[in-house]
Amino acid sequence: MKKIHMSYEKKKGLYGYGFIALWFVGALMFFIIPLIQSFYYSFHDVAPETGALKITPLVDGLTGQKNMFLNYKNAFMTDPNFRQYLVESLGDMALNLPVIVIFSLFVAIVINQKFRGRTFARAVFFLPVIIATGPVYAIITGNLETSGNNSAEQFSTMFEADMVDQLLEFIGIYGFGDKFTELLTSITSDILNLVWKCGIQIIIFLSALQGIPASAKEAAAIEGATSWEFFWKITLPYISPMILVNIVYTVIDAFTDPTNQVMERMLSVQTEWKYGYSAAMAWSYFGIILAALGIIFAIMNKLVWYDD
Amino acid sequence: MAETIAKKNALSDFLAKHKAEKPPKEPKMSRKERRERFKKRMECLTPEEQRYLRRKQVIDAVWPIFRAIIVFGLCFIILYPLLFMVSAAFRPRADMNDPTIMWIPKHFTLSNIKETMRAMDFWHTLGNTAVLNIGCSLVQVITCAITGYGFARYNFKGKSILFFVVIMMIIVPPQIILNPQYTFFRYFNPLGIYHAITGNYINLIDHFPTMYMPALTANGLRAGLFIFLFRQSFRGLPKELEDAAALDGCSPLTTFVKVMIPNAGSTFLTVFLFSIVWYWNDYYVSTSFFTNNKTIALMLKNLDGNLTRIIFGNDASSVNARELIVWLESGCLISILPILILYICLQKNFTEGIARSGLTGM
Repeated sequence: MKKIHMSYEKKKGLYGYGFIALWFVGALMFFIIPLIQSFYYSFHDVAPETGALKITPLVDGLTGQKNMFLNYKNAFMTDPNFRQYLVESLGDMALNLPVIVIFSLFVAIVINQKFRGRTFARAVFFLPVIIATGPVYAIITGNLETSGNNSAEQFSTMFEADMVDQLLEFIGIYGFGDKFTELLTSITSDILNLVWKCGIQIIIFLSALQGIPASAKEAAAIEGATSWEFFWKITLPYISPMILVNIVYTVIDAFTDPTNQVMERMLSVQTEWKYGYSAAMAWSYFGIILAALGIIFAIMNKLVWYDD
Repeated sequence: MAETIAKKNALSDFLAKHKAEKPPKEPKMSRKERRERFKKRMECLTPEEQRYLRRKQVIDAVWPIFRAIIVFGLCFIILYPLLFMVSAAFRPRADMNDPTIMWIPKHFTLSNIKETMRAMDFWHTLGNTAVLNIGCSLVQVITCAITGYGFARYNFKGKSILFFVVIMMIIVPPQIILNPQYTFFRYFNPLGIYHAITGNYINLIDHFPTMYMPALTANGLRAGLFIFLFRQSFRGLPKELEDAAALDGCSPLTTFVKVMIPNAGSTFLTVFLFSIVWYWNDYYVSTSFFTNNKTIALMLKNLDGNLTRIIFGNDASSVNARELIVWLESGCLISILPILILYICLQKNFTEGIARSGLTGM
């Protein structure tokens, strides 16, 4: 029998397949095939039947002709809520994204410094990661509203948004403040939600901050950089890849949140057994998010600085 | 032997001698003297340097106070709901209507907790959740680590495409693929031939394999993220470790078990904690695969209805919304208590693990 000769590299490659084999089998069964199926469903009429799902081609009720894209057409043209929910949830996302990223960066910088009780502060800041994903969060926020002593409200009085408005009116600018005030009040009154949403982002930024080499800090200190300069010229470039990661994470987190309006609408359609329709909704939503992520990526990639 | 002892003695003598020769402390200066010395030093510097130092002085004095306020304020916001939870859980329902009570109830009672535990069927639910949760988390951590290691250290054909699938697993929401998954489990067809032989399907809905099978193949809840984390952390370890192990005659699997796993301990801990938390809080996936499964998250979500059905009975209309809070908060408290205790125990390792883990390599 001839002995098969294999190079070390090739052998290593085979071991690589061995390591990921288990995952690949699972991904095929529980991810890739279901993904393709749901894409297929979105172009068909799917109804549950005893035995299995019944899949029939879509037929336009008015013209009686076959129309593959009927589900998509219904979602965007006929559905009274879908488009509105879509715009609203995208708007929310666009509004919350910069706030969450900047806020979590700020918190990460603060708890990265050395001070007394830092361990305690860190432990508290990661607490939302442990609790905030479940139904506990819903009860907590619901309760805080009904019990009257809402901490968010107390805090929002710290930032008196009307002052800005009055100042602008004094100068002679009317009406400008409305939108701005709305934004500001929505941020400040939402500070509870904000803090509770930022757990993972803070973690990611914190680990990025720890990755800034000590030599860079030293050099900056010797050159006499102020902390403001240090932030813009050292910190920001070093953590810029993580900013991108955080933006992507925040978008995906908002997108996959079952409490967001589009998701709720989708789930309610699903309970009516309209699998095809809900799949079409999910895929169009997913497509829009992917496009948004692509645009963010294209813009950010030029600004991101990699330390190679 | 004697030589080494003599050497040691010489060394300790040397150390003792030098310890004694510590430079004498500077005599304490009065405030005035110190200020003058500072002035003299400042005079030697250029104006720019002076400005820089002054500004630094001011910032060093002010910033800690400012920081303390921010940290305290934010900690308060995060802890507020938890404090309220504890405060509300132990007060009798009548105290909710008393406007003079903010934090400390006038009467102390355990009956809310007891009733809520009865409504949630707590011990049974807890056991059920633990079996599902801890089992799945453990299995998933191990399989994700193996997969992450494969992606981190081996080069093979199609690796980039396969890794793209991992990224997709992070991005695609579970809601999209849940229906096909449900059909898969409802009409389970092992090896694709079971149906052809027996003419039947196996119904796995309401059975543990629906949760365990994905976990066992590194496809459970948020598995994509975990594979990604493991890949990052394994990539951050020095390659020499494996080369050394290979030269010593270790097979790749032994290398992984004996060399890589001990070095990635903090990542294992972090992922394990995340995994437990997400399984614990999940009700969306488990309600889809189980028609009547008692898990903590689900029972908490349905607590309202269960309370009315089991505890209040005919008196349901006498309980107003404010009073209901007492029971809901008790439910929250007993639901998060197990993971809260776990978090407090692992907290130190967890925060350190995050700071040090391969997350930075992204």
